[in-house]
Amino acid sequence: MSSPSPPLSTESDFPKASPRWLQPLVLLSPAGIWLALLLVIPTLLILELSLVPGIRPGQVVNPSGLENYTRIFQPDYFPVLTRSLSFAIATTLICLLLGFPVAYWIALIVPKRWRNLVVLGFVLPLWTSSLLRSYAWITILRPTGVMNSLLGTVGLPPLDILNREPAVLIGMTYSLLPYMVLILYAALEKLDRSLLEAAADLGATPAQAFWNVTVPQTLTGIAAGSLLVFISCMGDFINPEVLGGASSMTVARLVYNQFLGATQNWGFGSALSMILILIVSIAIALWLKYGDRSSAGGV
Amino acid sequence: MTIPSHPQTPSLSRRRFLQASATAASGLVLSGCGWTLAEVRPTTLSRGNKDEIYIYTWESYVDSQLIETFKTQTGIQVTPSLFSSNEEMLAAFQAGKSANFSVIYPSDYTVGEMIEKRLLSKLDHSRISGLENLMPQFQDSAYDRNNEHSIPISWGTTGLIYNSEALNPAPDDWEYLWQNQQKLMRKMTLLDDKREVMGVTLKTLGYSYNSTNLQEIQHAYEKLVTLKPAVTTFTTSAWIDRLLAGDLLLAMVYSADAVRVINENPDRKFKYVIPKSGSSLWSDTMVIPKSSPNPDAAYAWINFMLQPAIAADITQRLFFATPNQAAYDQLPTPLRNDRSLFPSEDVINACERIIPLRPEILELYDQYWTKLTSG
Repeated sequence: MSSPSPPLSTESDFPKASPRWLQPLVLLSPAGIWLALLLVIPTLLILELSLVPGIRPGQVVNPSGLENYTRIFQPDYFPVLTRSLSFAIATTLICLLLGFPVAYWIALIVPKRWRNLVVLGFVLPLWTSSLLRSYAWITILRPTGVMNSLLGTVGLPPLDILNREPAVLIGMTYSLLPYMVLILYAALEKLDRSLLEAAADLGATPAQAFWNVTVPQTLTGIAAGSLLVFISCMGDFINPEVLGGASSMTVARLVYNQFLGATQNWGFGSALSMILILIVSIAIALWLKYGDRSSAGGV
Repeated sequence: MTIPSHPQTPSLSRRRFLQASATAASGLVLSGCGWTLAEVRPTTLSRGNKDEIYIYTWESYVDSQLIETFKTQTGIQVTPSLFSSNEEMLAAFQAGKSANFSVIYPSDYTVGEMIEKRLLSKLDHSRISGLENLMPQFQDSAYDRNNEHSIPISWGTTGLIYNSEALNPAPDDWEYLWQNQQKLMRKMTLLDDKREVMGVTLKTLGYSYNSTNLQEIQHAYEKLVTLKPAVTTFTTSAWIDRLLAGDLLLAMVYSADAVRVINENPDRKFKYVIPKSGSSLWSDTMVIPKSSPNPDAAYAWINFMLQPAIAADITQRLFFATPNQAAYDQLPTPLRNDRSLFPSEDVINACERIIPLRPEILELYDQYWTKLTSG
């Protein structure tokens, strides 16, 4: 607020009965009601549904046990959970490895007047539909597609990766790399370059300076970017469905199938959703505890 | 490089997914102490515009020309939404989409299920003209006696479409898939339809398409597991581009889709076969849900679709077999003799209809299907 009204005089206008802590509630309540109605209550409903074994639409909800949860940990479904986790972890690592050099280049090497243009170029793919981007990868990756004709012209054997794990990884990485780059770029832009010069002055090799000066300063960005990519991968339904095949079921796909797909078991689907929520919550809790230290203490 | 002009599986679009998820929450209706999950109730909110009708139908059952003709005849604007399996349609319908649609296109066994769940309104036959044109075998059916709730719009079989240049000898039975697994390795797709895929495997083993025997169902699941490494993916329509491009050699499909692909690619490389040990015989119908916001327009649409000229026209353009005798008589001879579209009597006799199963058996199918697709 830039209006110069003196805060003390407005405060005395309020009746004494209204304590100071109540005032922010007026502004907070729209978001609060929004969260309660559209996040808290639905999540509680999902929790309740997850306790009803094998429920289908039209049946009465009557929570009676943990069968849906024990089913998830059966050998038939446990691989789905580990597959989802491996997709998410692998995509996060690939995005980090590919994204860091790019973000470093944009933040520290590209001349300032070009920087915004380069950033824009990098986020441009996000302006198209994610479904369309996945379908475009089908055209590239399919056995008689663009990739294999290119491989053929340079005399390499064709690759059969569509409807397999590598295709899903490519799709996820392509979808989420821009987010990783943006977050790392924001972190690297704030890098204190005088510290790098000091490190060089004191005899550090570029590698030492990178590991001891650059990485610690951008740790918050690395953690935030990784968290965002990891969470998005856990919930990604489109890439595994479009680019995956008969053997690449993930938790998000399985949840979809329980509600709107071939099988109707809202209880099992809800239990799977709760497990997904739990995994994501653990990731966020870890980040809150360990990831955000530098910004909390440093700034 | 071509980007598909339309997503092959509209069920995937994020917007539709979000819409369905959002409406799922609105489908939770409180009733007394316990509450009923996704209870469908007649809506009073959207009484609907009388010049407007929303229908929920299969991919490739409606095209813009049909919509235009209907608008010219009646002045009513049709907006179709598409589904690719009965289960998907029923789930979305029960999750809250019911409020929009005046006409839905469920298949035979799903009609039975929807009648049982009391979702369909009884049709007033005095408001429908042209029923007498339906072939005798479509005047009455086990899933819906005397077409009280549903009007058949098309019928067909489930079978295999294959690349006849690459596959020699040609497939003639389901067992072919298992015997030629190496040749078909990652070059075939199966339908994303648990009843059809399980049914076919049961049939291959010599059981009924609708088996309710626990051992038989488990046996079928075990046989399917051995075929799975060769299966590229389970899909209802995403096989089309890739069969044409040569990525796939064979796909398990509904006859209507196969006949369309074969007729649109006149080099005759692709052929459709109904496996000789039998397959499923299905019919798709038009129903009016109790929750229909605009029943008058729904009757207008049904009457429109029953006109022999219209039914003959869509059979020629969209290639699904019409149950309408008057329309059949108007078809050009080559189409009337197309055995993929209108199979002979003995082929039909070898086929079974998919029938609704008891909930506990259906759950078993669900569990095996989820296991199969999760592995």
